[in-house]
Amino acid sequence: MKRSEKFVQANREAKATWIALALVILFWYAAGFGLENSALEFFHTPIWVLGGCIGTWLFSILVCWVLIKFVFMDFDLEDGEDK
Amino acid sequence: MGNWVNLLPVFCFLMFMLGVSFYIQYASRKERSTNFARDYFIGGYSLGGFVLAMTTVATYSSVSTFVGGPGMAWLVGYGWLYMAIVQVVVVFLVLGVFGKKISMISRKINAITVIDVIRSRYQSDFLANMSALFIVLFFCGTMVAQFVGAAKLFEAVTGFSYLTGLTLFGLIVVFYTTVGGFKGVAVTDAICAIAMLVGLGILFTSMLNAGGGYDKIMEYISTNHHDMLEPLSQGKMPVSLYISQWLLVGICTLALPQSVVRGISFKDTKALHKAMLIGTITIGAMTLVATWIGVLSKGILMEDLTAYGNSVDNITPLTIVKTMGPLWAGITIIGPIAATVSTVSSLLLSSSSSIIKDVYMREMEKRNVEVSNDKIKNLSMLATVVLGLIVYVVAIAPPSVIWQINMFAFGGLETAFFWVMLFGLFWPRANRTGAIMAMLGGVVCYCACMALKIKVLDLHQIVIGIGVSLVLFLIGTYMGKGTDEKVLRVFFPERYSD
Repeated sequence: MKRSEKFVQANREAKATWIALALVILFWYAAGFGLENSALEFFHTPIWVLGGCIGTWLFSILVCWVLIKFVFMDFDLEDGEDK
Repeated sequence: MGNWVNLLPVFCFLMFMLGVSFYIQYASRKERSTNFARDYFIGGYSLGGFVLAMTTVATYSSVSTFVGGPGMAWLVGYGWLYMAIVQVVVVFLVLGVFGKKISMISRKINAITVIDVIRSRYQSDFLANMSALFIVLFFCGTMVAQFVGAAKLFEAVTGFSYLTGLTLFGLIVVFYTTVGGFKGVAVTDAICAIAMLVGLGILFTSMLNAGGGYDKIMEYISTNHHDMLEPLSQGKMPVSLYISQWLLVGICTLALPQSVVRGISFKDTKALHKAMLIGTITIGAMTLVATWIGVLSKGILMEDLTAYGNSVDNITPLTIVKTMGPLWAGITIIGPIAATVSTVSSLLLSSSSSIIKDVYMREMEKRNVEVSNDKIKNLSMLATVVLGLIVYVVAIAPPSVIWQINMFAFGGLETAFFWVMLFGLFWPRANRTGAIMAMLGGVVCYCACMALKIKVLDLHQIVIGIGVSLVLFLIGTYMGKGTDEKVLRVFFPERYSD
């Protein structure tokens, strides 16, 4: 990969990271505030706590996994032009 | 006088840290004899994924992860947990957005600090010196606050005096940071992160046992404190607080120099990818368990806040003391001490790198004075140890101005560096005039609004800081001259290729 191509790829990855952040915020809102009025509970713990807290954590891990699996690419960070 | 059984585990842990740092100094003696600054301040771009993840998490999580956060959760309930979990994004955000670009650029221009990158991008010594000043000032305030918080906790749990605790971990962390350099800090941080998880695990288990199990505690809370089960906690957690926290401890942490510098330090892209995943798992787990402990301690500490010295900071030490014997308490307290020393070590090294690498070495370079590797070595270690000792001495009897600095610190650093870093790496048009105006104007505005308690829509002042900084950056950029194309070719090869 040429140095310029690496930077194009790095820009793409940065953009994908911002999208990942937006998805986490949406999930956090939907699984927390979105379930606020649900009467459902487990072990006396309201569902919004499980969704908004543990759910957001698990969702972030999933989003990270998708990022590094499908968007992020491996290349040499040194300035090996035209490699 | 305290119980020695209480003290022993922490002492052994800290001695182990010291040993690790000496070993790292020994192992990297070859690299240090050729280019000391590069090895000492950034570890020669060699961090692997696991260590990168753990040092980023450990630097970020501080004594307040163990004390302030859980204390507030005890008071407010699950709303606090729901707010604290926004921190889960901090690791993947900084590494994903900045990691690859900044590490490629650093390798190209031989940068070993964040300020190196800023200086090179904007071609301004003034901007670099201002960055160094903010870093040293805000970091020192934070370090003192960390020391004070941990020493108070130590006193409350072990019964030994404030000064004993402070001296014990304060002096040891200063010395192991001085000896180990960046690599030492990174590896000890990784060990600290594990110690924090272990401490949290022990505390969580012993607290559940003492409270008669999760179900029983939750039954008590839902009967007696129903507000704790609502996200807005009947007004104690306004929506504006959630938005503020998303900005202050979520999104804007992107530019914290102590995090960004970790984006320079890693070995290869595999390490970065691995660190994003491990870091996100770890910081989420830590935040969840620590804050959850706070909520559930309601089932053990059932009285009013006035019964507990009127301060939520007493909740964690009381939970520890109430639920376990001296030996286990001694082991558990390694957690918060580890959180403290891992934050202090990183900030201390960043501060001394600002002074030595970014100010002193640059000044010598400008005057064309050759400085020998040995001299850089001596000065770097001297700067680290002196700065550390100053912080220690100030923490013995902290003046009130320290609390002001600490309160301003987090948002101040974010305001100073957010647009400067983000535009610097992603917007070729961004120039020196914009960056200087954004950093100076933003920080001044932010601090003034903090001091005068001026808020917009009840949101934290970080909104004002970031907003003003953005506007000034745009004005400055459109008024000022563009950046030299030679520089842009390094930072944006995809647009300015030869």
